Amino acid sequence: MSLKPDNLIAPEVHHCSKCGACLHVCPVYLQKMEEGVSPRAKVQLTRHYAEKNLVTSSHLNSLVNHCLMCGNCTAACPSGVQHQSLFMRMRSYMATDHGEGWHLKALYHFLSHEQQLRLVSRFARLGRNHMLEQVPREFKIGKIPAKRLPKFNKQPFREQAVEKIAPEIQSRGTILYFTGCGTNYLYEQVGHALCHILKIMGFQVEIPRSQVCCGLPMFIHGNMEKAAANIKTNIKLFNRKDIVAVVTDCATCGSALHKEYGIVLEELGLATGEAEELGSKVRDIGEFILANFSLLEPHMDPCATRQKVTYHMPCHLRNGQGVTTEIEALLKRLPHVDYTRAADYDHCCGGGGTFFYDHPETSHQIVSRKIKNAIATGADTWITGCPGCSINLSGNLQESDNITVEHILLLIEQGLNKQG
Amino acid sequence: MNTLIKKEFNSIVGDSRFRDRLEDLLSYSYDAFTVESVPDLVLLPVSTAEISAILKVASEHQIPVTARGAGSSICGAPVPVNGGIVLSMTMMNRILETNTPDRYCIVQPGVINGDLQAELAKSAFFYPPDPGSMAFSTIGGNLAQNAGGPRCLKYGVTSDYVLGMEVVLASGDVIRFGSRNVKDVTGYRLSGLFCGSEGTLGVVTEITLKVVPLPEAYRTVLAVFNDLDDSAATVSDIIGAGILPAALELLDKVLINTVEDANNIGLPREAEGLLLIEVDGSEEQVEKELALIVEKVLSNNAVDIQQARTAEERDNLWQARRSLYPSMARLKPNCIVEDATVPTSKVPEMIRGIRAIIDKYKLLCGIAAHAGDGNMHPLIACDLRDHDEMERVEKAIEEIFELAMANNGTLSGEHGIGIAKRKYLSMAIDKPTLKFMHTLKQAVDPHGILNPGKAI
Ligand SMILES: Cc1cc2nc3c(=O)[nH]c(=O)nc-3n(C[C@H](O)[C@H](O)[C@H](O)COP(=O)(O)OP(=O)(O)OC[C@H]3O[C@@H](n4cnc5c(N)ncnc54)[C@H](O)[C@@H]3O)c2cc1C
Ligand code: SF4
Ligand code: SF4
Repeated sequence: MSLKPDNLIAPEVHHCSKCGACLHVCPVYLQKMEEGVSPRAKVQLTRHYAEKNLVTSSHLNSLVNHCLMCGNCTAACPSGVQHQSLFMRMRSYMATDHGEGWHLKALYHFLSHEQQLRLVSRFARLGRNHMLEQVPREFKIGKIPAKRLPKFNKQPFREQAVEKIAPEIQSRGTILYFTGCGTNYLYEQVGHALCHILKIMGFQVEIPRSQVCCGLPMFIHGNMEKAAANIKTNIKLFNRKDIVAVVTDCATCGSALHKEYGIVLEELGLATGEAEELGSKVRDIGEFILANFSLLEPHMDPCATRQKVTYHMPCHLRNGQGVTTEIEALLKRLPHVDYTRAADYDHCCGGGGTFFYDHPETSHQIVSRKIKNAIATGADTWITGCPGCSINLSGNLQESDNITVEHILLLIEQGLNKQG
Repeated sequence: MNTLIKKEFNSIVGDSRFRDRLEDLLSYSYDAFTVESVPDLVLLPVSTAEISAILKVASEHQIPVTARGAGSSICGAPVPVNGGIVLSMTMMNRILETNTPDRYCIVQPGVINGDLQAELAKSAFFYPPDPGSMAFSTIGGNLAQNAGGPRCLKYGVTSDYVLGMEVVLASGDVIRFGSRNVKDVTGYRLSGLFCGSEGTLGVVTEITLKVVPLPEAYRTVLAVFNDLDDSAATVSDIIGAGILPAALELLDKVLINTVEDANNIGLPREAEGLLLIEVDGSEEQVEKELALIVEKVLSNNAVDIQQARTAEERDNLWQARRSLYPSMARLKPNCIVEDATVPTSKVPEMIRGIRAIIDKYKLLCGIAAHAGDGNMHPLIACDLRDHDEMERVEKAIEEIFELAMANNGTLSGEHGIGIAKRKYLSMAIDKPTLKFMHTLKQAVDPHGILNPGKAI
């Protein structure tokens, strides 16, 4: 089960008409304003590689990897080029030819052996609190100061939560909760809020214990085989007939489960039927709550403290799951929210998995503009629905910025009736 | 190019905007046309002074220099066929001034047309030229190609909006002409010369454009015809009645069906032609014009008619037109769009003629037209790797040009000549005229370093 070399000489590269429609939507291109990092060039360079006009090199590697995998290019492409599959393949070739960065290797390793990640999270938690005084204050990962990164959960969320949470009233059916690594290791409060909210809406929540990382961090960096094992495990656990939906609180996991599992399996020449079945059941939690808002509305406290809110739309929500207007619509229906749209609310945050680490300058320039515009709305809470975006947005704020990045679930929870 | 000369260029822009590695050079070897050619060097200047210095050195060593905007040209205009330097204008992308009370704006050439529109919309103004590529093509590229779009029937093309320019000549000298005045007859009107010159006469570094207030209201009509002559008669009746629509777009049967296959929006598959008509202006005026248009459409045997009064309805009607290129482009790996242009009354004859040529060469082609100005857009879906097919495409295109010329037409309405149509130039321009153009070029660029091999 591996990529056939001639897979690369794929229809996609020849389907690109070089029209340029993908340039002005690419966050990386807009920052750099040079063709080499544009989606069009990435496709064309891949074609040159396939046609043997070009061999892999560290420069080619850096151009093709100068990418947030946000999917804006695919959404804009009139010719239907599937950039994501193409870039995954190209990255996989370059990884083979060129080796991966140590941090990517570490990442795959941990994400595909969650056992170890659990251990590491414990040590990191210990170490962090212990060693913090010794870490120079200006120590940075990419451009993000270590002190602005979220703390690890004391215990992974899935170990804290019970596996089946019964609804408050008679059941409206079962929801499977895909917790994602962000909630499981970093943002436990988000996971608890999700269970709490679905419970009062009348759903039974199940959190399959043996679920694993969605695999997206592996396959977007070209490590398809490691990803495939995770994909199969998750499909087995979540593709159930007796459920209302599979929900995610992470836009990136959501897009993997909703759309990309099928693509990866197809790349590897495996059957995609089950992946598609699962995909059709996957809902972003915000989208799901909006669709069932009447079940939540009676539990909202009309007198809850009002908050000024703005929103960052994760690319993986729009391009990966087709969730476009829903989250803003939901925010507007929350009684305790005064919503103001930021000028570039739907632009990429520049985080892009490990992009903020691999290309700190570009990433920082992209995120700085977003921060300026979010603050300009006068909001004190900046909502988003993806742990990756949260880390990047929040990590790049200055101490003096009076705005806090928060998951929409926490905002909803703050507006509930106190007894509810 | 030897390293010493490269060093001279490097000292002008510095390492951060100097590219000579193969990966980067390949990224500047193409536009949206088929022919590609790799430059020796790519420079990304940020000021007129840098461009002037670059051209001085290039002139001294007689190195070709090709300016490049977004690289969305579909005739090979920014492809550096003789190698040399590609001068990427993308970093010169600031809007320097918008002055709507005086009805002008000043921009750097790398500004994206769509970004300028968004900026102007804030003061309820717009810049009319609207090429299909407006969301990603640059004003500099629009100017060099004298770009146009649907709105140009009513509002005119790029050259109708250029008030003034700053240009760096091949020698490195900087010239400025025109002014901020909508009326200005001081000296030769050089802007007309530079519009459509495809970067062969100078590098444009600043542009002053005329802007106009956004219309208050729109009305849009989609009309279905079973006979192309009826659609043409409708077009001339509308214009004859004194109405100048902001769009008059025609789709032929193949396109209707291709769009319908891809999008399922309920277009009538049996229809021969579909006409999208839009008027803009004051509420009162567009209502009046709408009534008249409906009357003309019905009296010319339209079999169906849909009207849009709200923004949402308007958007729905435009969907067919908007999805025409994507729908064709997805049929096969490549899609070639030609743009021969004929007097309005010849449109039905052109469509039938093009269809016959396409059938003869067994090609897959949908035909659209800006019907109000006779600008034909046959979209030929093909596969560049299929040599036999490409030979047939080549022959068909040549015959389409012959057909256009026989109908008092011209080679290109908006896409330009580039390298794609150069060999057909003699069909449209006689010898003395072409010689005059070469004399002009020779006078301003004696060594022929500016975008050699293009336009004339
Ligand atoms: C999908 C699609 C739809 C299109 N629709 C239309 C349409 O409706 N109407 C239309 O007219 N065209 C259309 N085009 C063609 C193309 O977009 C236009 O010709 C556009 O004006 C090119 O702009 P650009 O910035 O991409 O320029 P480029 O393609 O980069 O360059 C075009 C020419 O301009 C020259 N140039 C660029 N900048 C400068 C400068 N600063 N100084 C001197 N010379 C310069 C280049 O040397 C080259 O000769 C379309 C293209 C595509 C891909
Ligand atoms: S996925 Fe996003 S960052 Fe990557 S090339 Fe496409 S638009 Fe650019
Ligand atoms: S939008 Fe699609 S066809 Fe156009 S250049 Fe980008 S990848 Fe190629």
